[in-house]
Amino acid sequence: MRCEQVQALLNDYLEGALSAGVRQSLEAHLSACAGCRREWQFRQGIWRALARTPVPDAPPDLHARILTYVRAQQRARLQSQRMLIWRWVGAAAAAATLFLLGFFSARPGGVMAGFDLVPPKRSPETAIPAPVESGIRLEWRSVGGGERIPILQAALNREASATLALASEPDSPPRTAQRIWQGTLQPGKTVEIPLPLIQRAPADSYAATLWWTVDDQHRAFFVPDGYPPMARADLRLRANLATALARLARTYQTPIEWLPAPSEANPLVVLDVHNATLEEALQQLLIGTRYTARMEKGHWRIMPRE
Amino acid sequence: MNGFELSDEWLIERFKEGDETAFDQLVRRYEQKVYQHAYRLTHNADDAADVTAEAFLRMYTALKRFRGDAQLSTWLYRIVQNVYFDFYKRERRHQHLPLEIPSEEDDEPLELPIADESIDLDEHLLEQERQRVLREAIDQLPDYQRIVVLLFHEEQLSYEEIAAVTGLPLGTIKSRLNRARATLRELLEPHRELFETGSRPNPSETADALRTGSGSVE
Repeated sequence: MRCEQVQALLNDYLEGALSAGVRQSLEAHLSACAGCRREWQFRQGIWRALARTPVPDAPPDLHARILTYVRAQQRARLQSQRMLIWRWVGAAAAAATLFLLGFFSARPGGVMAGFDLVPPKRSPETAIPAPVESGIRLEWRSVGGGERIPILQAALNREASATLALASEPDSPPRTAQRIWQGTLQPGKTVEIPLPLIQRAPADSYAATLWWTVDDQHRAFFVPDGYPPMARADLRLRANLATALARLARTYQTPIEWLPAPSEANPLVVLDVHNATLEEALQQLLIGTRYTARMEKGHWRIMPRE
Repeated sequence: MNGFELSDEWLIERFKEGDETAFDQLVRRYEQKVYQHAYRLTHNADDAADVTAEAFLRMYTALKRFRGDAQLSTWLYRIVQNVYFDFYKRERRHQHLPLEIPSEEDDEPLELPIADESIDLDEHLLEQERQRVLREAIDQLPDYQRIVVLLFHEEQLSYEEIAAVTGLPLGTIKSRLNRARATLRELLEPHRELFETGSRPNPSETADALRTGSGSVE
């Protein structure tokens, strides 16, 4: 056996993974070759030291600390669940009523008609088209009388058909949501979809959940019912991610976009913050999840990491 | 100890049926192991305790969905790593704490309990120095290599167990491990004399003895 062969086999030798024959010829070489023997002793020393890396004893209160932490988080979850159920009952009833009354009676011609309230601007004077920005964003636009209406703006750098659908609950799947807009995106054009009913959502509830779908790619947009954004807030919750984000969007009056990850899309999350900014709250919320948050032109985008 | 132990599966079933004491027992059973692993990742007692608590919270919420197709211990290793990567690493990045700058605390060699009064004091000091340079070298490994070194050499898991923890194929684990060993070897080259054990080839020394460090150090 040559020295290079021996050195290449040393790890397997130390693992005890060599066959008897190979091991014997390797050991014969080690007995005869001082250089390889030194290398083997060196590596063996490293292996032994690795197996002895010191770990101090766990703190004596570790058990109590774990149980206290787990129980506190559990209590917080149960409390917020109980509260949220009642809020949800009220919110759901009111939202359903508004949707039927405000939306359909405004223009009984169909679902699309509801959005004629503020027609998308297509003025010919706009000679220089705005730069195309791929994605969606929310803009609050004054409609006179001190009133503002949220307008969803969508753009894409290629042609694709898209739909917008209103979910009954933050965590209900996109396919169960009620379609409120359908159209084609063109490169270089920004589509504007006014969202008047969102503005009249009942107070003290979640933000409305809109599913924006392009080419079977779903992303949720949690649209708050008011303006301007809140800088700081107290929040305590334990819920799945979608529900939590809908709460945050409502509390901070800031839209949040959510791109569900392919796996473990909607994990359970906890939050307990006091006088926190939305960024701080999101940071804490996303601990231990596959998601990361990024500020995107006036709203937060929650997306899978890497 | 009553001479017998309830199986993990039984305790998990009890817990699923709402028995909180079963969770308490599972925590008792694994807290040391989880803490050790967390400590090896964080090198900090406080952080290790935080990671441990968060890991058990995640176990609590996920246990109802635990299908038992993996060992609970393997699953816990995985949770600890997720918590560490998702939470602790990110925290550090946010605080812009460079990992390299040793604090005064870090300069203190970790006090190992001297089990036997007759242990050679020189060897004790040598071991402290050895562990210090070794730790510096380990900390220079990229995380994906550090993890396999930690699981194989420090936690002494088998390749199959490491595959269950990391979800990596065996070949990947082996190649990462060998790359990591090569890097460690290069980094430790200047401290060679600390590690050369001076023993002759000893066919009777098994790989297990090597990994548990029970082989003789002369």
